[in-house]
This record gives sequence, C-alpha cells and structure tokens, in this order.
Amino acid sequence: MTGYLQCGRSSGNALPQLASSREISLHFPPILPLFSLTLLVASFPANFSRPPFLLPLNLTWSDEQSAMASNGHSSPFGQATPNGNSNSSQTPRRSSRRRTNNSNSSPASSPFPLETPPSRPAGVASTPTTSRRRGTRHNPNATPSTPLSTDDAVPPYSSDRDENDNMETDGQDDTTPVFVWGTNISVQEVNGAILRFLRHFRDARSASESSEAADLMSEGKYMRVVHRIMELEGAESLDIDAHDVFEYDPDLYNKMVRYPLEVLAIFDIVLMDLVARIDPLFEKHIQTRIHNLKSSVCMRNLNPSDIEKMVSIKGMIIRCSSIIPELKEAIFRCLVCGFYSDPVLVDRGRINEPTRCLREECKAMNSMSLVHNRCRFADKQIVKLQETPDEIPEGGTPHTVSVLMHDKLVDAGKPGDRVEITGIYRAMSVRVGPSQRTVKSIFKTYIDCLHLKKTDKSRLQIDDSVNHDANNNAANHEEDDASLYHDKIEKLKELSKLPDIYDRLTRSLAPNIWELDDVKRGLLCQLFGGNALKLGSSGASLRGDINILLVGDPGTSKSQLLQYMHKLSPRGIYTSGRGSSAVGLTAYVTKDPETGETVLESGALVLSDRGVCCIDEFDKMSDNARSMLHEVMEQQTVSIAKAGIIASLNARTSVLACANPSESRYNPRLSVIDNIHLPPTLLSRFDLIYLILDKADEQTDRRLAKHIVSLFFQNPDNSVHEVLDLTTLVAYISYAKKHIHPVLSDEAAEELTRQYVQMRQRGNTPGSRKKVITATARQIESLIRLSEALARMRFSQVVEVGDVAEAFRLLEVALQQSATDHSTGTIDMDLIMTGISASERTRRENILAATRNLVMEKLVTGGPAVRALELLEELKKQSSMEVHLSDLKIALSTLTSEGLVVFHGDTIKRI
Amino acid sequence: MGGPQYDLLMNPLGAVRQTFEKAVASSQPSGLDPTALYRGKDWGIVDVLNQFLFSQGGLAQVPILDASSLKWIKPNTLVRFRGMVQDMLGNEFYIGAFKDGCTWRTNKFLDFSPFSVPPVSETTLWERRLFHCVPVPGQNSWAIESTPYPLKINISNEMTCQHGEKRRRDDDPDGISDFDCCDEGSSSSNKKQKDCGSASHHKIAEITNGSSFPTNSFSCLVKVYDMPESQFKLNEVVEFIGIYTFDPELTTSDRSDNVDDDMSMFDFMDDVATHLPPSKVPRIHCLVSQKLSTQDLISNSPACEPLPNVIRGIRDSLVSYLSCTLGNDVIAAQCLLLHLLSKLRVKSDVASVGQLSLNLTGFTQESASIFGKQLNNAIKTLLPYSHTIPLTIEYLNTAMLQPKKDNESGRLLMGALQLASGTHLTLDETVMQSGTLNSKGVENVLLLKHLMEHQIVEYDFQFYKLEMATEVQCLIISEAKSNILPADLVVPVCPSAVAPVSASEEQLHAWRWYLTTVRSLPYSTDTSICEMLQNEMVEAMRKDRSLGCSDLSRWMTMAQLMAASFGEKSFSVEHWQMVKEIERLRKERL
Repeated sequence: MTGYLQCGRSSGNALPQLASSREISLHFPPILPLFSLTLLVASFPANFSRPPFLLPLNLTWSDEQSAMASNGHSSPFGQATPNGNSNSSQTPRRSSRRRTNNSNSSPASSPFPLETPPSRPAGVASTPTTSRRRGTRHNPNATPSTPLSTDDAVPPYSSDRDENDNMETDGQDDTTPVFVWGTNISVQEVNGAILRFLRHFRDARSASESSEAADLMSEGKYMRVVHRIMELEGAESLDIDAHDVFEYDPDLYNKMVRYPLEVLAIFDIVLMDLVARIDPLFEKHIQTRIHNLKSSVCMRNLNPSDIEKMVSIKGMIIRCSSIIPELKEAIFRCLVCGFYSDPVLVDRGRINEPTRCLREECKAMNSMSLVHNRCRFADKQIVKLQETPDEIPEGGTPHTVSVLMHDKLVDAGKPGDRVEITGIYRAMSVRVGPSQRTVKSIFKTYIDCLHLKKTDKSRLQIDDSVNHDANNNAANHEEDDASLYHDKIEKLKELSKLPDIYDRLTRSLAPNIWELDDVKRGLLCQLFGGNALKLGSSGASLRGDINILLVGDPGTSKSQLLQYMHKLSPRGIYTSGRGSSAVGLTAYVTKDPETGETVLESGALVLSDRGVCCIDEFDKMSDNARSMLHEVMEQQTVSIAKAGIIASLNARTSVLACANPSESRYNPRLSVIDNIHLPPTLLSRFDLIYLILDKADEQTDRRLAKHIVSLFFQNPDNSVHEVLDLTTLVAYISYAKKHIHPVLSDEAAEELTRQYVQMRQRGNTPGSRKKVITATARQIESLIRLSEALARMRFSQVVEVGDVAEAFRLLEVALQQSATDHSTGTIDMDLIMTGISASERTRRENILAATRNLVMEKLVTGGPAVRALELLEELKKQSSMEVHLSDLKIALSTLTSEGLVVFHGDTIKRI
Repeated sequence: MGGPQYDLLMNPLGAVRQTFEKAVASSQPSGLDPTALYRGKDWGIVDVLNQFLFSQGGLAQVPILDASSLKWIKPNTLVRFRGMVQDMLGNEFYIGAFKDGCTWRTNKFLDFSPFSVPPVSETTLWERRLFHCVPVPGQNSWAIESTPYPLKINISNEMTCQHGEKRRRDDDPDGISDFDCCDEGSSSSNKKQKDCGSASHHKIAEITNGSSFPTNSFSCLVKVYDMPESQFKLNEVVEFIGIYTFDPELTTSDRSDNVDDDMSMFDFMDDVATHLPPSKVPRIHCLVSQKLSTQDLISNSPACEPLPNVIRGIRDSLVSYLSCTLGNDVIAAQCLLLHLLSKLRVKSDVASVGQLSLNLTGFTQESASIFGKQLNNAIKTLLPYSHTIPLTIEYLNTAMLQPKKDNESGRLLMGALQLASGTHLTLDETVMQSGTLNSKGVENVLLLKHLMEHQIVEYDFQFYKLEMATEVQCLIISEAKSNILPADLVVPVCPSAVAPVSASEEQLHAWRWYLTTVRSLPYSTDTSICEMLQNEMVEAMRKDRSLGCSDLSRWMTMAQLMAASFGEKSFSVEHWQMVKEIERLRKERL
C-alpha cells in the first residue's frame, strides 16, 4: 500500500497539485459541513449514525482497492477508496459489501445477532421497517436486482485472528506515510497513536488493578469501557476524557484539537475496527465523544482562528429548535416499473436524484420518485447557547452561539441548563438568496457538538428541594450563585477556618452601626438559619427559620439594620407594617384621603419564601395581616381563600420585624407587651426579642458622624478593619445555607438539656412562692436553631458544645432585655407568653385579697354604695405596698365577676 | 499618489481600497502575508480620515444620518450618526481579504463582496462587532444635531454630478473601482422612502404600547472594526463616523420568500441581523467613533475656565428661573438645582454618595397640571435627555419598564428604563389613584425603587438577571410624600404666584452649559473642616434623636452639591450653613 499524497503543512496559497482533481478542499457547504468525501458512511458494517462532519476525511489512497479485492484483507482503512474522478456513490458501496462480508462470518447481518441464527438468509434488511439499516443489505436476493450486487464474490471466512495480531502493526506496514491534505497529520501515525491510546491507556488510580487482568482486551481503561458498551444495548458512544489523551500522548491531543475533523474520523475508524475484532457481529457504530478539554474558551473570545478547531465552551442553553430529521440515505422508486433504487447517499448536502430508471429493461426518464418511509434520517437540532452572567464584562450583553446537536445529543439539554460543550467551531458562508449564486462575504458560525455536559447537575442534587418548589425568582438567584461555586468556594472555606470568623462576621454586618453587637449576632443567626426538620411519620415540620423582633426607641438605627438585612438576604423583602397585606402576589395602592400619601400594600410574605421578610413598623400592621403572621411564623405557610378554593402557599420565611413603642418612647416600667401592644401569642413566636433603647451616647454619635464624614472625604485610615465586604458576606451565607447542614453532637445535646433544665429551675428559686416560668418548649426549639446557625457560620457539620453555650448566651441576652420582670429583675417568660409577669400576678392577688377583706369588712349586703377612692384610701392605710386606682379597679372587676360586688362607675355596692 | 484623489465624503470606499492596495504593496517586499499583517488592524485609512475630519475641517461636511436625512443620503458615502448603544449583537465573521487573481482585495467596510469570492484557501476571515444603536431615548430637541441645510443642498447637487462622472467611469475597463449599485441605490431610494414611512408607522405603534418615548423608530446597525472588547458599553452615547451602506439586492431577498429548503432549517441559526432588515435599519460601517458626554452636546461652549463670578451669575439667574417655574418658591428651587446637579459618585454598602433624588410634594391634580408642566418644560429645555413617566396604576401594570432579552429574536427589547447615563427621569405620582397592581405592576415598582436607591436597573435575560449600573436622576412629583418611591429629599412646594416663565435663548444656553459643566466637575475634599462637621453632626443628633445615618449623609451630599453649584470643588463652612438653613426651612414645611 502506498500513499501518494504527501505534503507537509502548506501555508494557504500553496495548493497541492492533486487537490485540483477533487472538487473539495476547504469550503463551507451550506448545510452539510462536509469535507471532501472519500471515506463513506455506507461502507461501515452497521447502521452508522455518526454525524456527517466526522466521516469525510481527506485521504487519498492508491490502488489499494484492487489489492484488497484480491486478498480480502481488511486494514483499518480498507474502506477508504480513492475518490479521484470515479463515481463516489458506487465505489464505496462495493467496498462496503466486501467489508461486511469480510468481517462478518455470515452473509446475514441481522440487527439482533443473538436472536437470529447466523446462517439465516437475510431477508430482514429488505423490509421497510429497518430503514435505518440500509447499509447492511447484502443478500442479492433480498434486494431486487441491484446491478452492482452481483459482483460480490463472497470470500471465505475472514481471518479475524490474523487481523487481531497484526492490527497494531498495520500502521507501520506502510512505508510511505499518508498525510491528510493540508496538514502534517500522518494518517498511519495518528492511527497508531489512537490505537495505542485506546488499548494501553490506564488510569493512574486503577493501574494496579488492571495489570492483574490477563485478558488482552480488557487491560486499558477504554478497552474496558468499550467492552461495557458492547454489552449494553443502547450505548452508542465512547466518552473519552481529553485529559487522558493528553496524559498519554500530548502530540495526539494537540493534533486532535487542531485538526479535529480528520483525527476524529480516524478515531472512529480505529474504534470500529477494534469493535469488529472483538465481536464481528456487533453492528452498532460507536462514536467517540471527546470531552473535558484542557482549556475552555470564553464565548466572546471565539475568533476566526478557532474555526475548524476543537473548542470547549460553557454557557446556558436558552433556546432549542424542534428536531430536524436530516436525510442521510434516500431510496427512489421508479414510477413506471416500481424498481427501487439503491440507497443514494447524501453528498455534500445534496442528493442526486437519478434521472432515469436504472433497470435495464425500463430506463424510463425522470421517473424516479423519493420513497420517504424507506429513507434513512438522522436527528438534528440547533441549540442556542448564551454566556452565563459571570462571563459578561460590565456594561456588556451576553453573547450567543449556535450549537448543532446530532443523534443522541438531541434534547440532551433543555433551555435553562448550564452546560459545557465540546465541539468543533465552524463557519458557513451565507448565500444572499435562494436564486442568487452570489455569496455574501459574511459567515455564520456554529459549533458542531461532540459532547455535552450539564455543569450544574451536582448543585441541583444538593438543593433539590429548594429548586423544585422555589418560584422563578428563586431559581434566578440560585443561578447567580452558581458562579461562586467554582471560583470562590475555596476562599470561603478558608475564611470559615479563621478562628475569629464569628466576630468577623458580626463586624461585617452593618459595619456602620456600632454597639448592638449582640443584636447583630442574633441577626447573623437569622441569616444562617437552622435546619428545617420534617418529621417523617407525622408529616409535621419544624421550622428552621429564626424570627427576630426589634423593639426600641425611634432613631436607634433599627430601620438601618433592617435595610441592611434586606440587602444581605437573597430574597429579602422590605416592607412597612403599614403596607403589608401578608398574602397575595399583587399589591394594592391606597391613597390616604387626608394627606394624599400613597401607600403600597404588597403581599410581602409569599414573595420572601426562603428569604428574610423585613417588616418595619410592625406595630402599625393591621390586625388582619398580623393574624396571618401566626400561621406564617409557625407553620410557614399562608392560606389564601380565593374563588372558593383555599390554597396554602409556602412562606418559609424568617421574619425580622421592628416595632416602635406605642408611646413613642419605651417605658421601662411597663412590659414589652404593654409597650408595643402586640398580642402575646404573636410575640412568643419570635425566637429573639431585642430591646434597643436609646441611651443618648455622644460617643456613638461621634463615631457615626465620623464615619459619614469619612465616607465623603475618603479617609482610608478610618475604614473598619477585617471586615468581609457585602458580596463576600452574601456568598458566604448562601454557601453555608446550601451546603452545611449541621447535626447536634451528643455532647451538645446533653449540654442543651442540662442548660435548659437549669434555666427552667431558675424560676423555682427558694423564697418565691409561685413558680416563675423562665423557659418554655418554644425556647428549646429556638436554642436548637440558634446553635445550628452558629455551627453553620463555621461551616461545621456538627453542632458543638460551644455553639450551644453561645446560643444560650444569645437567648439570655435577648430575654434579659425583653422578658425581665422589672420589679424583681428576673427573667419571666410569662411576660411574653401572657403579658403579665409572675411577680405582677402575685401583687395583683395580694391586692385582690386585701380588697376582698376590705369589702367584707366595710360593706353590708344591699347597703349604701361606697366611692372607689374612699376604698383606695382604706386600702393604702392597711396595705404596706403601693396601690394605684388601676390596681384597685382590676381587683374590683374580679370581685364583680365573683358576684360579690356591683362596680358601677365610681361606686361600689355589695350584693 | 500625492493627495487624495478620491472624495472621502462621497466615495470613502475608494479611499479604503486605495490605502489597502498601498499597504499591501508596501508589505510585499518584506514577504509577509498582508492578510495576516492587517488582520484586526488599520492600514492607514483611519489616519487619512482623521486628518480629513479633524485637521481639514471635514467633519462639518459629513451629513448626519437620521430619519429625515436617510431619504437623501446616498449609499456608500460617509455619514455621521449619534446614538445610544442599545444592544450588542456579538461578532460577525466576514471574508476580510481575498486574492482575486494575484491581487489582494478587501471586503472591510462592506456588506457583501462586489467580486466573486474565490475558494476559501485564498481568503481570510476577519471579524467585526455589531451594535444596534438608537437615537438617545428622551433626547430633547435642542440637543439633537441635524445636518445643516446648506450642506444638504450641496450634497444633493453633488449627487447629480456624481452621476455624470459615474458614467465615464463605467466605460473604464477597470470599472469595478466604483459601485455598480450606485444606480440602483439612487433609483431605489424612492422606493425605500416609502418603505421607511410605512415601517416607521408600524414601529411606532409597536413601541407605544410599551414605553412612552416619542421616539422615531429610526435605528442603526453599526459595524465596528478593530476594537478592543469592552470599548463601548451598553447605553453609552457614541458618535460614529462611517460608511452608510444600502444594498438593494440584499433588500429584495426577504426572509419570507426564502423557502429554500437548505436554508430554512438554518433559520434558527440566523443572526439577529435578519430581524433588522436593511431596508428598515440602515447599516453603518464605522471608521471613526468617539464616546459622547453631555458636554459634547452643548455646541460652542465658552471655553474659558469657569470663573467663580460668572458661575455665580448664571447660578442666580437659574435659581430665579427655577423658582419662577415653581411659583416663586425659592427653597424648592434651591433643592431642585442641587438635584439637577447630583450625580452618583461613590457607592458603598450603606450610602450612595452624590446622588440626590428629589420628591416635590404638595401638588394637587390642578396645581400639578400647571407647575408640573412648567417644571417638565424647564427640565426639557435645560437637560439633554429627559423622560417623564406618569405613575398610574394602569401604566405600571402594563408598561414594559424592564429591558428584556427576547431569546426568540435574540434581541434586547428596550424597556423604558434603558436610559443613557445622565438622563433625567420625572415620575409623576399626582395621577396615581387607588387600585390594584398586578404582578407586573409590583415588579415595575420594585424596579423603579431599585433604580432610585442603588442606581441599578435589572435587565431580564429570561434565565437570569443582569444588573446594569445606570446614572439617572429621579424627580418625583406627588401630592404628599411618596411611600412607593422613597426619595432622598422631600420638599413640599409652596407656590405663591403663577408667573409666566420665559427665558432667552442666550440664557438657556448659559444654563445648559452651567449644568453640564458643574455636574462633571471633580470633587476634592478639604479635610480641615472634618472636625467641625463632626461636631455639628453630634450636636444635631443630640437635639433631634430621630436623625439617622441617611439624614446626615444627605446633608453631606447637599453641602457638596451646594459648593459645586458655586463652581467650587470642595465645600466650606459657608456651604454647610446654607444647607443647614435650607434643611431648617424645609423641616418647617413638613
């Protein structure tokens, strides 16, 4: 065998003489990006469904054909026929038949080798149903009078063994190297390199195992894969990791990337031959799919020099075309005599319709018509790929590129998927119009896809639950986060290992608001959140979201804290209590009739599903909306009744509310409930309630002033040190929320129990007659959530004792501010649960007893009425404690309900 | 070759060819491949043009391409176009240079090849960038430059001359040196006029249901060569000088009658340009381009260094003009002036430094119709780009404020908030009535809110959203303080008299110059008053506990703007006191 086309990589203008004899070279046909067709599809033994662009190969062979015909020996390139000036539609077919007969031990090649006995005459292929297997027809009897079929002298069984042995040396048999036109690719060299790679490449990891395998065929990594593919029905492609190729043979890798069309065609042939040797009956064509290139290109950096190169790009599918059936082989039928033609192959995007019937007897002119259901089609799809947000420079719009998908890759990706595509970048000239032959000077570019990988798959698995029920908006945010995963993950993890990360995070939260460190820590916990639990059996779920209420004087930067939290939380909603209707995706605009102020009432809670809902002026919220919050804050759903249907929408939101005291200033003498006029039922649903009191502090004011001035004057020395910037903080939180799901360690659980019991016992201090509730079951849930959030901050999968201790501290700080009974100075949960502290209750009972005694003493049944003030005087004389008129009135109303007295206006009458 | 034998204005392609041939000839001895040499590079044509335009005063002779001049400007001539980059359509590969026989020819600055293109081996692919440009949205009539009338006459005359000349050239055996489509171009220009007319009607109808811009539908597809990736950003205003091409052959091949089965399945791969047919969207092959700032729109500005007393004089007259429009309310006028001068300088997590959105309250439906109108007119005559959005429930529920990518056509659909930087946006809330906002309305409100707070507009790319920084001053006119769109500064307007407002052209010009110049002045800081400011703030906070961070930073912004309004770069105690006084008076009104 001698190759006669030999030219090195010639620079564009030096054309090899032989090229002129073929109507090829680099041109871009309108549909089928074919190179000159010398290796033909039909020549392969089985239904060959390789996308067309890989098959053609600029190989030219000497009179090999005749040599092969005589010895029946099939080299890997046995199918390659000289194109020359010969009719390309005939020669390959002839050789195909020969090829099949050579490799298959029987003339019948059925699509189901196991079910069909090899000796059975193949009539299968002639039935129209197997239109995809046109290429396998070789029984002359089955095909109605194919003129060419007669020349097939079936040779004896081929010598598979021999081939096996000398297969590897095939390449070296040729003394004269054959080059792919216009390149320095020697076909033999590449062939050998590929074969060596497929056979001998071993994964470094599995090297030791495979060395033990004695079987020649299963030694290499890809040999094993090939075997597996052959065993499996349906598998049609061999994924080859380009990193492996590079590792094994960098030269081959480079050739592959630079001349993918040529090298991949050889790849396919080598693979096919390999398969044929293992199992001659294996009919499917296995395609090579290269992926994981060493470097991937940014979509906007694709330029003319990348054309015809193998590229790898990342992007997001934005649009898919419908599936286009592409004609691969056409069969014509004579309308006069009913003669079926041989399959006609697509040649450079065109089918040559026979002008006359090929049957000798008929020869009718223009009688051939296409038989659609006997033609072979391949699937094709065009997909638009768009740049992902992280690749777009500031002030730019995303670029898009068209990707051509074939066969199995059709519908492999859906719009919205993030994918990494390996393919060949190609350009195609644009014709001006159907009639005009002039070609515009503009080229359209597209990528012929070889391999598609969904890049966000792993991420989807992790937060599956989130993605499934989160609405569009959430998906967007999560998509945005995706970019972080690759670049910043390591940085975040490093951050999390810092010993002072907790303090650092605290400092980073609203750095311009000073003091309030414990409040910030609580807010931080809210951002990280605890784990939501779903109790499998009962279906009940425990929320993981932490709710916080800030109560305080005006002007204590509560609103700023809220604003800041709103910025940090990915799906935060900021709303004012005056305009929250809690539900609904729409909003209502109201206009105050007096002031003309317009207010937007929006349904904040549903919109902030899985986010933080910041409600400013919580105390001004309408009762109706507030009652909705009960459900939201414990069940995490919102029920909407509309058109007779009660819908329950998810509202898994953390509520951060802030309220102003009803008397504009916080009255420390009154309880929280009295101060803000919120129902205790709602209050108890807040995990943490912070009191922010304005202690006119010049120090703080000065710092604020300094900060603002520095903002304008940009004094670098004034900046806060060691603070995470906003974006990092957001990234840190979103990563932790998604990936860290801490579990209580045994010690932590023990500590939790111990401390909780201790906390409850504190109410039973000796000396106090009545039990004071210092903690309730709701608190233990809060504590678990808080400690989980604290573990999350460290990216720790385990909640440790330290976290529990800190959670207790945080809770106590909050309780001390809000649930402290001012008259005794101890924590009393009753303050929040009922609004009346235990000590207050005792006092009231004392007064009641004293009043009763007094009434019994002084008043006679049915006697004259007594004024309340007189009674008060009496009471004050008797009692050691301070008694107010209001206290007396409370006591009297109790007595009234007992039926002891009638309390009317200002007078009391005993009955 | 000597001086240019070609007419750069009428036949810029001749110059392109000539310089290319010259460059190829000069590179021949070195044995280098000329195509590789000039790939992505200029071969001298830009220099020639630059010299002609800027040294020889040719710029004034270049007609400006707009909806009206499109009718008489000849294809393949030099034009000027000012527009905003509305969409970036990516790159286009074309046969940059090819060998015709043994001479190299170029297709640069051309839509299609006038010669038959040889096989690929003798061609090289170059790339160019495509931008879809529109006239700047909200551009006020005074800021629009159009071709001066005499020039128009000139060119029309020349056109007829050219015809005679052309005939001679056609006899030339080397006739390819000019374009064969010249004839067709001019003959079809009549046809095209009609086309354009109907097209613009169609488009206007299309646009009005979305944004309320009174735009003419005119837009341009600009092809830019040899440009670094990020030279132009979205929404930048750019002046392009290049070759206007129109090829009747391309126009006739409408997509609809293109039923060639080969092509139809590749429709999907079509670049967006097919949705912008050349008959409706003219092509410009850009040779020279420059970004335009608002200052460039003020013609013959006084070149002198802004003198303090000149500035002060202009400032005083402007304040009195503004107070006139607001019914002799000086406080509101002062605030309005500061607002007009505001510009986002520094962005931090907590506060945006430099921006000052204004909410003028106290308007009833009636007074808004008087003062609102006057105010709008004033802003229109003072600022180059301005836009008014009526905040009605209906508008919010239906309008497309957000720019949105249409993945079907591959184009970015213009939302009302796709604005060039420096645009002034007036939101009229006086027309708002009670009613229900649908989800789109809620989205629109959030969008506006986001714009006001962070100067960012989110663009919808269907699968994700991109945040685009914008620079838009927002003014809200409302009955009472707007809770929907919280502004930095709320000022109740107390009009005392309705006075007819008038200003001379001269004054207007001075004010325009003043506003753009002062806005672009750099700030510097005088740290000596830091201590004083801090003390003042602490004092103020002691007096009024409700003062927060935002109030204090607003004072700083106002003081800075106040200083700028006097032409000073950094503010002094005096300016601080003025701001405090304004704040005091403003508080009294609340």
